[in-house]
Amino acid sequence: MNPQPLITTTEAVDKAFYIIFGISGVMLLGVTVVMIYFVWRYNRKRYPVPLSQKNTNLWLETTWTIIPTILVMVMFWYGWEGYLSLRNIPDNAVPIHASARMWSWLFTYENGKTSDKLYVPVGQPVKVQLTAEDVLHSFYVPAFRVKRDTVPGMDNYVWFVADQPGSYDLFCAEYCGVGHSAMITTVEAVPAAEFSAWLAAKPAVSDAGKNLLQKHGCLGCHSLDGSPMVGPSFQDIGGRQVVVISDGESRTLTRDRDYLEKSILEPGADIVEGFPPSMPSYAGRIPEEDLTGILDYLTGLKGEQQGDKATPERDALEPVEAEAEAEAQEPGQAAEPAEAAGPGDFVSQGENLAGKNGCLGCHSTDGSRRVGPSFKGLMGSERTVVKDGQEITVSADADYLIRAIREPGVEIVQGYPAAMPPYPQLSDEDIKALQAWLETLK
Amino acid sequence: MSEMTAPTTSDRGFFGEAKYPGIFGWIFSTDHKRIGLLYFWCIFFFFCVGAFLGLLIRLELFAPGETIMGAQTYNAVFTLHGVIMIFLFIIPGIPAAFGNLILPIQIGARDVAFPKLNLFSWWLYITGAILAVTSLFTGGGPPDTGWTFYVPFSAQTSTNVSLAAIAVFILGFSSILTGLNFVTTVHRLRAEGMGWFRLPLFTWALYSTAWVQILATPVIGITVALLFAERVIGTGLFDPTQGGDPIMFQHLFWIYSHPAVYIMVLPGMGVVSDIIPVFSRKPAFGYKAILISSLAIAFAGSLVWAHHMFTSGISDLAVMVFSFLTFIVAIPSAIKVFNWLATMYQGSILLDPPMLFALSFILLFTIGGLTGLVLGSAATDVHVHDTYFVVGHFHFVMFGGTGMAFFAAMHYWLPMIYGRMYDKTVATVAWGVMMIGFLILYISMKVVGMQGMPRRYYDYVPEFTGLNQLATVGSWILAVGLVLLFANIIRGLFWGDPLEANPWGSASLEWQVSSPPPTENFDEDPVVTHGPYDFKQAGIL
Repeated sequence: MNPQPLITTTEAVDKAFYIIFGISGVMLLGVTVVMIYFVWRYNRKRYPVPLSQKNTNLWLETTWTIIPTILVMVMFWYGWEGYLSLRNIPDNAVPIHASARMWSWLFTYENGKTSDKLYVPVGQPVKVQLTAEDVLHSFYVPAFRVKRDTVPGMDNYVWFVADQPGSYDLFCAEYCGVGHSAMITTVEAVPAAEFSAWLAAKPAVSDAGKNLLQKHGCLGCHSLDGSPMVGPSFQDIGGRQVVVISDGESRTLTRDRDYLEKSILEPGADIVEGFPPSMPSYAGRIPEEDLTGILDYLTGLKGEQQGDKATPERDALEPVEAEAEAEAQEPGQAAEPAEAAGPGDFVSQGENLAGKNGCLGCHSTDGSRRVGPSFKGLMGSERTVVKDGQEITVSADADYLIRAIREPGVEIVQGYPAAMPPYPQLSDEDIKALQAWLETLK
Repeated sequence: MSEMTAPTTSDRGFFGEAKYPGIFGWIFSTDHKRIGLLYFWCIFFFFCVGAFLGLLIRLELFAPGETIMGAQTYNAVFTLHGVIMIFLFIIPGIPAAFGNLILPIQIGARDVAFPKLNLFSWWLYITGAILAVTSLFTGGGPPDTGWTFYVPFSAQTSTNVSLAAIAVFILGFSSILTGLNFVTTVHRLRAEGMGWFRLPLFTWALYSTAWVQILATPVIGITVALLFAERVIGTGLFDPTQGGDPIMFQHLFWIYSHPAVYIMVLPGMGVVSDIIPVFSRKPAFGYKAILISSLAIAFAGSLVWAHHMFTSGISDLAVMVFSFLTFIVAIPSAIKVFNWLATMYQGSILLDPPMLFALSFILLFTIGGLTGLVLGSAATDVHVHDTYFVVGHFHFVMFGGTGMAFFAAMHYWLPMIYGRMYDKTVATVAWGVMMIGFLILYISMKVVGMQGMPRRYYDYVPEFTGLNQLATVGSWILAVGLVLLFANIIRGLFWGDPLEANPWGSASLEWQVSSPPPTENFDEDPVVTHGPYDFKQAGIL
């Protein structure tokens, strides 16, 4: 069943594509040409009276029944043959387990190592066992032409072989709710030696908290770098004020340890404003020690801990660099250069500050509405704010920016909630850098 | 044969004779033409709503990330677009609107077999529609499951799926009862001389469709009832932790919903089979082959449902069998296309708007059908299943096929019903604009699907941006064409020039009555002496 040399899944499927598209192309061309020719040839201007009233011809009818029958049987056969190639797993395939849940993937390798990107050795077939924890999902890698649903209570599989190193998109193809289109990761095909080295490397101890988040699928919806995903970012989560909706009432809470624990076990109770109520409860699904580990980690994620840009960034890693980073939990992460804006490079420094401090969680840069007003076109604009219950118009200049960051509760832009916490930790210099960057967002 | 009655306000056929005053003369009327028009304008309205939602979807997909709405809203919008277009537009579209308007006249009957049941069907339709709309504003928010309602997600989501399921259940009964009515009407109420092989092909297509409606629709009723039970009392039939199976839901769903595809497209084929002979002045080539292929599609189309499930985890043997049967059902469709083309051979072809729409049906349906082969073939389906390729494919078949046939029927028969004609030049221009927009929109979808963009994606990776923007631009062009088309036909039907008798030169019975037709269609029961495409006997040639 295992042809030599190995035919990749891409080759097997593409053969069927070429045959079907080829036959279909000829048929479509034929139908179109005949139709246009008849319209021109037998136009009423040319023939006010039809040339004949013939309405049957047994030979023609038989011919155009038999020829399509043969053609569809040919197409059926090649489709089935290609499908068999997708189902028959080569003997030496590396087993990997993929678990799908709302809305992330967790890959587990033979030695128990886990990752949220799928690492595979180049040139070696892999068999991916597919399971789902909650609802239907579907494992889809367009580059390898493989797709299979993950079904709760059922074991499915796919196999494929990557013949080139590289990073390939891996999508969820079965609709699974609000985070469906964010349930994207990559297949990282790396040379076999690198794959073995990566597989053998122990995850760094300092990453224990993050590994727990990954293990339980938290990072599918919550970023670590302030970027908004399905749920609120984990950046700076501990201790901050947050506006939540509880039973339809809006109130402000402090995100202390108790709040965080309740959010994990009873996520429906307090919904952070501006986010959908879509998180499933983890009560009974998360072991006590994992919960403690996660809470320790999250309450430690304060303002001073910066630059911990982690997993959800899709393009952060280059598999070719993996060798140097074998001891890192994931190749690519450690290689990220320390963020140091060049002196005078105020604009990029400002951009970095906005990212690090989580501004972008609430303020978009493209004019779209989030929890707070967009940054786009902010500087220099006139805006209506509510101050002491009065509506006044202010000009968004440097002074305004300082007021809005230091004392955000004093002037609230009309139509937005008074949700922003003050940022006393930002120096005047920082705010100038932010301003320089905001000026560019026209 | 027919005497042309100039439309006047006092004597306008069935428009002039209402049992009750005002709106009650419509919503309590048992006249098949009044019911047909009720259906037509409701369906027309829901098409406009669905198309508007489609435009919103395209606008959101103009750029990656949030463009005009959030993810939850987007999911509700595409669910609503699907539910409205499928259950409120395309399933009832041609049978309920044009079937009711035309079928009884075509076979020489005064009305359908069960006029009161017919009115009841419309009431069920409108009840279902109101419930579907209500589900948006009540309970836990608009349903966000997609029109397929797949479990376990649909059993778990807090949105208002239960009410939407009840709406689908009720709409299903409307469809079943209409089918029952048509089958009985065709069997029992044909005029003297109207033998089975003198039935117009439109009637034949409706007859085949009606059987599918009667036999397949109960399954969707059962399926959504089970979903309702799963949500409300936790039956666990589809829940693996209680020994149930989510795949079983998919089987039940598609046992109806694939035949439903033929409920959608067969009547469209019937419209085209009636229009092409008239505008070619030639009898329908292979009349028997066309009607047999209608019946064959209705039958074989009921046996191919699992081709929606090749990647779901069904056995490889099942994949082989369903792939094989899917290719079999392609044959009668191909036969129809060849017969339509042969009808035009040596004819006298006039490219009036109904003919333009019928020809674009052939072109777009052929493209849709051929890309359907990619989905029927097991290997290639694995790659394109649940991608934008599928979205492009079914819009070609449904909108390019049934939608174009609906527009063809609109431009062909509605002037007869209203006794007024629209502006043909404007209709032709609108047709051209629509075709350009249509091809840009849906071909882009197919290409981006081939590249691997999954469907029901609120956000996408940057590689897909270019084609998505092209598709969105296509949707704008298409929308301009639609607005022009609709404005022109509405203007024509209500304020256009009075219709000349039998303007297209048809030999079929519905063109031999005065226009607008009188309440019981015929002053005296007609006797049919020739077939519907016998232009010589009818005195047209």
